[in-house]
Amino acid sequence: MGLLKILSAFCIFITSSAIGFSYGQTFSLRFENLLYLEHCIKILETEIVYGATPLPEALANVKKKGKPRVSFIFDDIRRDLISNKREAIYHSFLTVEEKLHHRLHLKKEDIEIFFSLGRVLGSSDREDQSKIFKIVLAQLEGQLDEAKLEKNQNAKLYRSLGIITGLGIIILLI
Amino acid sequence: MENNPGIYNNLVEILSGELKTILFNIPMEYKKKIEEIRIRNGKPLMISCGGKEYMITKRSEVNMDASSAFIVNESHIQSTFQIITNYSPYAYLEEISKGYITIGGGHRVGIGGKVIYGAKGIENIKNISSLNIRVAREVLGVSNKLIPYLIDSSKLFINTLIISAPQCGKTTLLRDIVRNLSNGNYRNQSYKLSVIDERSELAGMYKGTPQNEIGIRTDVLDGCLKSDGIIMAIRSLSPDIIAVDEIGGEKDIESIQEALRAGIRLIATIHGDSFREVNEKPSMRRLFEDKVFGRYILLDRSKGVGTIGEIRDRSGNIIEFEKR
Repeated sequence: MGLLKILSAFCIFITSSAIGFSYGQTFSLRFENLLYLEHCIKILETEIVYGATPLPEALANVKKKGKPRVSFIFDDIRRDLISNKREAIYHSFLTVEEKLHHRLHLKKEDIEIFFSLGRVLGSSDREDQSKIFKIVLAQLEGQLDEAKLEKNQNAKLYRSLGIITGLGIIILLI
Repeated sequence: MENNPGIYNNLVEILSGELKTILFNIPMEYKKKIEEIRIRNGKPLMISCGGKEYMITKRSEVNMDASSAFIVNESHIQSTFQIITNYSPYAYLEEISKGYITIGGGHRVGIGGKVIYGAKGIENIKNISSLNIRVAREVLGVSNKLIPYLIDSSKLFINTLIISAPQCGKTTLLRDIVRNLSNGNYRNQSYKLSVIDERSELAGMYKGTPQNEIGIRTDVLDGCLKSDGIIMAIRSLSPDIIAVDEIGGEKDIESIQEALRAGIRLIATIHGDSFREVNEKPSMRRLFEDKVFGRYILLDRSKGVGTIGEIRDRSGNIIEFEKR
């Protein structure tokens, strides 16, 4: 009986801690993914502004050069653009919204900034595109600061909360 | 001259959804003869076939009644422009500033809209209001019967001028002559050719690859001014023959004379309705006085686009020729 109690308590502790860790981890992941997304956008900027590479090719190059955890998004946009012959690239950006939210843990505001790039990407000359990239990157920088702060505050908090909750339940049950 | 309908079907793939469906379903007889597709904002969808303009209805019927025609809107033009430029107008600014884009297959899309000037001249065209898609017509073999008249007994190419009104097939004929000479299809006599393709019509270069068959011994200076291209070709490409489309400017003539001094042969085209009209053009006078051209080929539409009306020799006398 005693062994069963210890085993149950252990299970409760592990589960509760895992939930806390996993929730806390989303803040770390959002920060990291935003950082990788910023890197990918910088690659795209180089391809367009300095290389004048046509958009589908530029998106494929971002997929190759960027961190795979995030850069797959750009390849998804490219494939959608080509296979569906979209009227505007923005429509292809919209198709990756779910992935940005659920797989990359980005917030609505982060996604909106990324989409603002999609609304004007490729539609003007390189000088204009350069300005647009600067604005988007500056906005992403702001999101990165906020994500870092949130990560520092909340990641630890939720991890501790998971452990404490687990311990609390065990104490109550015992 | 008839097109391969497959070329037309591939071409309409670049159009936005609704336009694509409508143009894809037009009757085959028009697909074979199509020369241009006209897309103008707020205006009927039109095509040019055999020198005539036709309207297209929403059900892909072809007639001359503007009231039943399908009306093109801004989004059709915008989306077609996006697809043509591969969603990357910034990558095509140089071509856009010249007023057209060459697309896969060698077709050319002329652009109408608000022209933006900058420090270096025309920089861009914004607010695109119309697109004119000129269907590239590559008719292999159209010059086969003509080649023997262009080579003399010592196997030297005779300087040739093709004279024709617009849309009579002079570029198509020039391209086929280039192909035949370059490949050595006549008596295995081949020549090295340099094509100065100022308007990307002859070779139809797309991403560095000619979309039209221009022969195995042909070098292309794409998008290059004729006057510059001729000099560049003399210096660096060592051609036997230089081919240029639509000569007429003073600078072109100076460069041509330079090429002739270097012993290079020439084949060129020029706009004109008759031999006399071209003869009287001030810029051409010098070339005519020097009797530079040994053959004048006049095209007309009497038996369809690309009919060879007559061939004249150096003195302007008509040479007997079996008309097609």
